[in-house]
Amino acid sequence: MDAKIKQALIDIVGEQNFTDNLIDLVSYSYDASEYKHRPICGVWPHTAEQISEILKLANREKTSVVPRGAGTGLTGMAVPTKGGIILDLNRMNKIQKISIEDRLVVVEPGVVYADLEKALAVYGFLFPPDPASGKVSTLGGNVATNAGGVKGAKYGTTRDYVLGLQVVLPDGRIMRTGSKTMKSVSGYDLTKLFVGSEGTLGVVSEITLKINPKTTASSTSLATFNHVEDAGHAVSQIMYSGILPSVLEILGREVIRAINQNTDLALPEVEVILLAETDGYTKTETDFQMQKVIDVFHKNNAIEVKQAQTAEEAADLWKARKSAYAVLARLKPTLVLEDVTVPMSKIADLLNGIKEISKKHNIMIATYGHAGDGNLHPQLMYDGYDPIQAKSQEAASADLFQLAIRLGGTLTGEHGIGLQKAAFMTLEHDPVAMDVMRSIKKLLDPHNILNPGKMALEE
Amino acid sequence: MEIQGYNMPDELYYEQNHFWVRQEGDEVVMGMDDFAQKMAGEIVYVQLPGEGKAVKQGAKFAKMESGKWLGKVYAPVSGELTAVNEALETNPELINEDCYGKGWLFKIKPEDLSELNNLIHGKEAVEKWVLADIEKYAQEK
Amino acid sequence: MEAKYDFIKKYREQVLQCSRCGFCQAVCPVFGATLRPAYNARGKMLVLKEVMDGKIDLNDELIDTLFQCTTCANCFKNCPSGVNVPEIIKQVRKDMVHIGSCHPAFTGMNDVLKKYTNIYAEDEAEDFGRKKNQTAEYVFFIGCVGAYREEESTQATLELLDFTKIDYTLIDEVCCSGVLEDIGFTINAAHVQTNIDRILSTGAGTVITGCPYCYRTFINRPQYKPLLDKGIKILHISQFLKDFDFGVTTDKRVTYHDPCDLGRHCEIYDEPRQTITKIAPNFVEMPHSRVDALCCGAGGGVRGAFAKNSIAMARRRLVEAEEIGAEIVLTECNSCVHNLANAKLRKQPFQIYTTTQLIRKLMKEKGSLKN
Repeated sequence: MDAKIKQALIDIVGEQNFTDNLIDLVSYSYDASEYKHRPICGVWPHTAEQISEILKLANREKTSVVPRGAGTGLTGMAVPTKGGIILDLNRMNKIQKISIEDRLVVVEPGVVYADLEKALAVYGFLFPPDPASGKVSTLGGNVATNAGGVKGAKYGTTRDYVLGLQVVLPDGRIMRTGSKTMKSVSGYDLTKLFVGSEGTLGVVSEITLKINPKTTASSTSLATFNHVEDAGHAVSQIMYSGILPSVLEILGREVIRAINQNTDLALPEVEVILLAETDGYTKTETDFQMQKVIDVFHKNNAIEVKQAQTAEEAADLWKARKSAYAVLARLKPTLVLEDVTVPMSKIADLLNGIKEISKKHNIMIATYGHAGDGNLHPQLMYDGYDPIQAKSQEAASADLFQLAIRLGGTLTGEHGIGLQKAAFMTLEHDPVAMDVMRSIKKLLDPHNILNPGKMALEE
Repeated sequence: MEIQGYNMPDELYYEQNHFWVRQEGDEVVMGMDDFAQKMAGEIVYVQLPGEGKAVKQGAKFAKMESGKWLGKVYAPVSGELTAVNEALETNPELINEDCYGKGWLFKIKPEDLSELNNLIHGKEAVEKWVLADIEKYAQEK
Repeated sequence: MEAKYDFIKKYREQVLQCSRCGFCQAVCPVFGATLRPAYNARGKMLVLKEVMDGKIDLNDELIDTLFQCTTCANCFKNCPSGVNVPEIIKQVRKDMVHIGSCHPAFTGMNDVLKKYTNIYAEDEAEDFGRKKNQTAEYVFFIGCVGAYREEESTQATLELLDFTKIDYTLIDEVCCSGVLEDIGFTINAAHVQTNIDRILSTGAGTVITGCPYCYRTFINRPQYKPLLDKGIKILHISQFLKDFDFGVTTDKRVTYHDPCDLGRHCEIYDEPRQTITKIAPNFVEMPHSRVDALCCGAGGGVRGAFAKNSIAMARRRLVEAEEIGAEIVLTECNSCVHNLANAKLRKQPFQIYTTTQLIRKLMKEKGSLKN
């Protein structure tokens, strides 16, 4: 790499926080998606000031910079497609402050979600969104993708809990957004702009999060259905029941079959399984809520409804949902996990549409996901080293996106656009919206050095 | 002075297992000398006994390790351990970086300062001793 | 097309199965201590994928990651795709050594074992004051770490064995040399034969090992099969001691660190706990225990080759002991106890022992052990 740039970076972060070793460059070429590209180097900053100097340097030298947390993003948002510098934020991993009286916590972007969870649990509090990658993903990454999780149905996503940020803009200026209060409508809501911006508008260097007290009681139930439509109606009708379940997960037939073929869970061979949880502070309350859910299940032709009587039984009911990813991940050499989200009333249509796409392109697709907020995860499984199958996957995914949009949905509920769905942005967003997004990008990043090539921001 | 690339300051007293001593008020400070630290390689662990421990001249009272070597620390004088270099707990490589300064090991309140006369001291004696050890180790290889 | 390296022949599909999810980062001790994704299981698989794709070749630049793995298998246990990273790494190391690319500490270890009876190149075996090579029912096999680095722990074990009055003997043991298979070389056949011969000439029906790694070597490595074929039982000391009552207890808050070689690799979780809960009713588990236990960082040759990171990993493990307010941390592996003891900070209030050391200490305090 350019010796001048290398020395300049070493001057900013110190030699022990710079790497152009082959093994690091290889790691930094990938995230959890199927994309790859080598960066020229990696740096481990410890402060917002260092990030600022790095971005100023990048602008001077017209070198791209890609911020990175745990690298578990599924759409390629951390892959450095234009080479450049990887800004590995993992060493900025302090929980700066926990304030229960103010109901907030301040963290650096490299704090691992699970570590925050552990620290808050001591106080009986939690940060409600619970991404499946929480054991490894960092808060900076959670903010970049507006991470969701199984509790999204009732508790929303990361964006609903970010009170404020410290951001380093692409030109190196450091700014703060939002406030440390529970609410504020002072000025434009810049916080919401940066959350979910996938590291293209600024590098988040500090995050202030609203936190909730933990619920202490929950009820869990599992329902089986022979028809997709019945399950779909059940999901919609729960909206009329007067309560919001904290969890409402769905498992499709292919997932059920795969689990049965590969584990000894021996699930009933049905079309759809729904897993529901209600939460609160007394068992009486959560059972009361759960009864409403169970009534809806029965009214919609559930074959069998099981309610857990103990914590062990609840864990048993959860096993199927928890093992889905691992079981599917072993079936074929390659997997692509999609994230299409539709209005909840369209879940049955989405499930049926996915089945047709699977047949049409002769590719295995197993679907599970968050029925409670319409966010399904069709998982496409194939041999990526076979060019024919690779083409089938591309075509199938394209059809999936078309289907979701047709049903009034969105390309992605929580995984983001990155590279994977960039080509389909114009399918979902009208030309004016695309123009406004691109204008904002140009305004904040005139030289296009921060995570370029993502989200169809370049024309 | 420098002997074949090893830095051995003239004013220090040396224990034959390659630990240096210097007086500091009514205490002595000790550490590992440049010859030993180079032989050992990167130090990864130093045992730090508690303050107040009694030590005897010529007797071992602590352990050190580099990647390949387990070594013993010998007391250059008899007395009581008054201080340990706590920085070595998380940065034992200070011994390699600055064995006579930041990499000091222990402070001892000596029973009898005349014990220093039992140690190797002075240009001639130090040179003779180091050259002999250089040869000894060369042969052992 | 003929696969260029053996690891590709044997493990191509597994390497491809890695879906890059990165979940291994949550449990990899090397990543936990360094925060460098290149060291993590995923980082290693990505490097191997690029070798398989012909993008890079096995070379010295890869040593830092391919030889820095404790083989604790926590990644494998948590991998949704079931990729057996430690096994793949062990094979890759053999391929690396084959092309002349290896970490000097490991080449050194192989050379040392060609000349010496132990991995430390020590000339004299520690004399524990007990007869060797006698005819007896049991052989107690100490292992290199116990013999040359953790003599106090071995002394304690021997005193307890004396107390049980079983008919045992030590032998002029040499390194089981199983470690060589993990670091890219081949088990030292001469040492294997020496151990087999010396064990057989005692007429013993059971070998008790002080070291979980020797235990694994004896029961798993085909070169030691002659022992098993002769019907000789192999036990780790924790499996042997659980049946005895030493008549001592402590009310201290005691926890137990599962060594990877005993726990995750051999699923021996209960026997140590049986003994420990008998002597320490105030027993408490660390947040990550049994199959989830955090690796102390010493294994896979990492303590010899990457000592600084190794101790950093041990330090991370001890944070959990501090969190639960443990007064005593017990373990059943001399490598673990060595690394953990080195990593313990002065301000941390607990003591670290092997189980036998604690039992002996309590018995000495009670006066039930002769000096």
